[in-house]
Amino acid sequence: MTHARRGRSSNERPFGIRGLGRWATALALVAALAARAAAQHLLVPMDDQQQNHLKAYGLTFSVLKNGGKAEWFLNYRGGSFLLPDDPATRRKAALDGITTQPLDESAVLAIRREIAAGNMDAVTLEKAPRIAIYAPPKSPPWDDAVTLALRYAGIDYTQIWDDDVLKSDLSKFDWIHLFHEDFTGQLNKLYLGFRDTPWFVEERDRDLATAQRNNFPNIPALKKAVAWRLHDFVQKGGFVFAMCGATETLELAMAAQNVDIVGPFSDGTPMDPDADSKLDWNSTFAFRNVHLEMSAGVNAMSDIDGHQVNVPTRRQALGQFTLFNFSAKFDPVATMLVQDHRNVIPDYFGVTTSFNRSVLKPGVTILASEDGAPWVKYIHGDYGKGSWTYLGGHDPEDPQHNIGAAPTDLALHPNSPGYRLILNNVLFPAAKKKPLKT
Amino acid sequence: MRGWALAVGAATALLAAPPRAAGAQALNAIVQRALDLENAGRWRDAIGAWRTVIASGETAQGVLGLERVFQQLGQDDSVLPPLDSALARAPKDRMLRGAQLRVLRSLGRETDARAAFAAWAALVPNDPVPYREYAGQLLTDGRIAAADTVLQEASRALGGTKTLVIEVAQLRAALGLWPQAAAAWRDALVAEQYMESSAIYSLTPAPADKRDSVRAILSAPPRRAPYVRTLGALELAWGAPRDGWRVLSTLTPADSAYGTWSDFADDAEHLGAWLPARDAMVAMYAQRPGAALAIRAANAALSGGDASSALDLLAKAAATLAVPAYRAQVLPLQVRALSALGRAAEVEALLAQHGAQLDAGTRHGYARLAAWAWIRAGQVEKARAALQGMSGDDEDEVSAWLALYVGDLVKARAGLKRPTEATAQVVTAIAFLSRTKADSARSAGAAFLALARGDTVDASRRFERAAADVPDAAPLLLALAARLHAARREDGAAIGLWQRIVGDYAAAPEAAEADLEWGRALRRRGDAGGAVERFEHLILTYPSSALVPQARRELDGLRTGAAL
Repeated sequence: MTHARRGRSSNERPFGIRGLGRWATALALVAALAARAAAQHLLVPMDDQQQNHLKAYGLTFSVLKNGGKAEWFLNYRGGSFLLPDDPATRRKAALDGITTQPLDESAVLAIRREIAAGNMDAVTLEKAPRIAIYAPPKSPPWDDAVTLALRYAGIDYTQIWDDDVLKSDLSKFDWIHLFHEDFTGQLNKLYLGFRDTPWFVEERDRDLATAQRNNFPNIPALKKAVAWRLHDFVQKGGFVFAMCGATETLELAMAAQNVDIVGPFSDGTPMDPDADSKLDWNSTFAFRNVHLEMSAGVNAMSDIDGHQVNVPTRRQALGQFTLFNFSAKFDPVATMLVQDHRNVIPDYFGVTTSFNRSVLKPGVTILASEDGAPWVKYIHGDYGKGSWTYLGGHDPEDPQHNIGAAPTDLALHPNSPGYRLILNNVLFPAAKKKPLKT
Repeated sequence: MRGWALAVGAATALLAAPPRAAGAQALNAIVQRALDLENAGRWRDAIGAWRTVIASGETAQGVLGLERVFQQLGQDDSVLPPLDSALARAPKDRMLRGAQLRVLRSLGRETDARAAFAAWAALVPNDPVPYREYAGQLLTDGRIAAADTVLQEASRALGGTKTLVIEVAQLRAALGLWPQAAAAWRDALVAEQYMESSAIYSLTPAPADKRDSVRAILSAPPRRAPYVRTLGALELAWGAPRDGWRVLSTLTPADSAYGTWSDFADDAEHLGAWLPARDAMVAMYAQRPGAALAIRAANAALSGGDASSALDLLAKAAATLAVPAYRAQVLPLQVRALSALGRAAEVEALLAQHGAQLDAGTRHGYARLAAWAWIRAGQVEKARAALQGMSGDDEDEVSAWLALYVGDLVKARAGLKRPTEATAQVVTAIAFLSRTKADSARSAGAAFLALARGDTVDASRRFERAAADVPDAAPLLLALAARLHAARREDGAAIGLWQRIVGDYAAAPEAAEADLEWGRALRRRGDAGGAVERFEHLILTYPSSALVPQARRELDGLRTGAAL
């Protein structure tokens, strides 16, 4: 300022030739600065500096939804996002308490150099995924960790149920989430302990009515058909994300297309005594050579689950699971799915808590497992043109989660590393596919 | 011959008696020694001592002792051999069987525990005890489904679960089946009245939206005292002491009401629910009148803000007490009550009557209360006169208040530098005095005086007017007016003031509060869009305000439809 005043002579006319030249220079400089300002970015750090990890996913989703593009800096500061710096994004970040850092081009360039030099990569996110959640019509949001996470993060989704799966065009969705639905049609064998409770009776009646409406003789037949539709959805290029009991029962239902694997309380007939040997594992995503639980009185489906939470004599204690560290440049998908600010996460129970290694198909990618345990927690794989991810357990912030327990309030867990795994899956279909480096 | 036999028999009995007593004494000494060693933490020695107890015939006590000691040593499984030996001798012993289940469960040997339970149940086919014990232990572990299985087995084996109502009730509560749990507890309380506290403990966690069903079941006819007592205690635990009292007040003397009311009064006092506590004490007084109870009830009434009923109760106490006792126990409360009601002349009359017998400190305290009584009556000059002769010091706190009421802010500031207590009123006055540099502000003083008189309508009007006279404290005065409107649920008037604060005094400390309260008022009115706008404005305009987390929570609630 002082320098500028000194540089201008007292008799110099502001609009003289020389003056015009200076104004032109100044204008050019302002224009250049404006251009640079417009080209600035917002870095959303996802390490411990982030105040609200979960809402950061919602912020990124909203940028994509509004036609913008984003970048996911895999393994850089906990899997940070790079967003365009515009007033709407800044506003939403401020409203949601999301930590952001404005960056100019040179700072972004420096980050890119750092990414290029390490086990990191930048993945372009270009389209908001179209999300469907498979959940019964009256299901409260807190019954399902994914619904809870999406609502909290502000990510749009469509709720679908059996009629929609059977009759509508699933290709309009990129991502279908399945929760603790029992695709074997045995209502998670809760018949054993809850057969007279009003909510159980209501669920059973609802499913029976759906079966009749769709010309199926019973609930197991209905759910098998739904499972097969979901199988086709993946085969044709869709992405299924399943948690809790949906993982195990979806596989069992797909393998049991031609055999009765359910107890008499579900379909009126006992299960086929040779059911184990008649299961067809060629059309399943993740498991093979699984042994069914043959007793209708034991609250377990098979030996897929390592923890068997509802069978007192088999129940295994909770430990903690470790996320694998993948090569970001060679395994970008797996890397995306494990982006987190913690790599060791306390385990949590679910109808299906974990997956025994012994029943995993070759080629399944293990994303997280418990050291020294015979089970894994988090797996992913491709099938046909699509892909799937299974995450064991019910609610990352409620390890025991008994029926009737109070709902989880995610406002109290904005930095939940377990919930981040769910939200990684939401954004993964938004990634632009790029050829693998060889 | 017969006489001789009797004599020999009697002699034998006499001779036999001392050794039996000595044996019992010796056994007691052995048990005591084992307990002493255990209490001293001498675990190894205690093991030997408890083994001696078992050898002496006190098997169950000895095994339980070993169970405790081995647990301390982390060697739970070591108790199993002596336990198995003891069970071989007494296979139906309930205490030993219970210990066996406990030990096997704590070792994680669920299959063995299950087998032990099955063996026990088979030994005593029609006895509910094995089911009760095992289900109870599983429930304690939170193993609800397993407990349910055991109770279903009991139902089949015993032809019903009537003998297991408590376990069934606990199970249902653990499952979150609150109406069913309440019904089961209702059944249980018929036979086992002493289980009231268990029922209360079990039903207290019922969520708010399920409590009506619990209420309906416990209130349904036929009405029985245990149900009423349980529901009354639940209401208190659920934060509804007034409802609790309404339930308990229906008890009659035949229901042992006095003891229940007394417990309720204690609990309500402890929770600061003064008026329900007062009501309970009044009911107790009706059954067993006494000055001490009336004084306690009056104190509760005063603490709850009901000075009138306090005076009634104090009059009853005064009628039964001698003058010295009256002066010591009743007079202080009477003066406080009269002062709270603004009945200054009566306070002064009492002072005139008893002042000579009081010490100077007490007289001074009563003079302050008389001054406050005059203030509440709107008579500032008389209040000042009441303090005459007691203290001419301008630093005196009451004088400072009097100065504030007439708008003398200099004197008010000087006197309120070190207030004796930080009540909301004191904090508000100090906030005002520190916000303005003005030396006098009659309109603001009048507003504070109206507030002291309890006339919130006049106070809010005066605070709003005073904002124009004291511009440097205008947002604070407007916020005070708005708070009074909001407290009376006059959201429309309050919103107008918050709007002025946010619009005209955006940089004032009250602006963030105004935004938040404005948004909340709009949400109450069902204007979600308007509310969102306010909360967003707060977050974006005052990002470092301590109210931002509250605004975010409000926003989340509006977006997800969650109840706040």
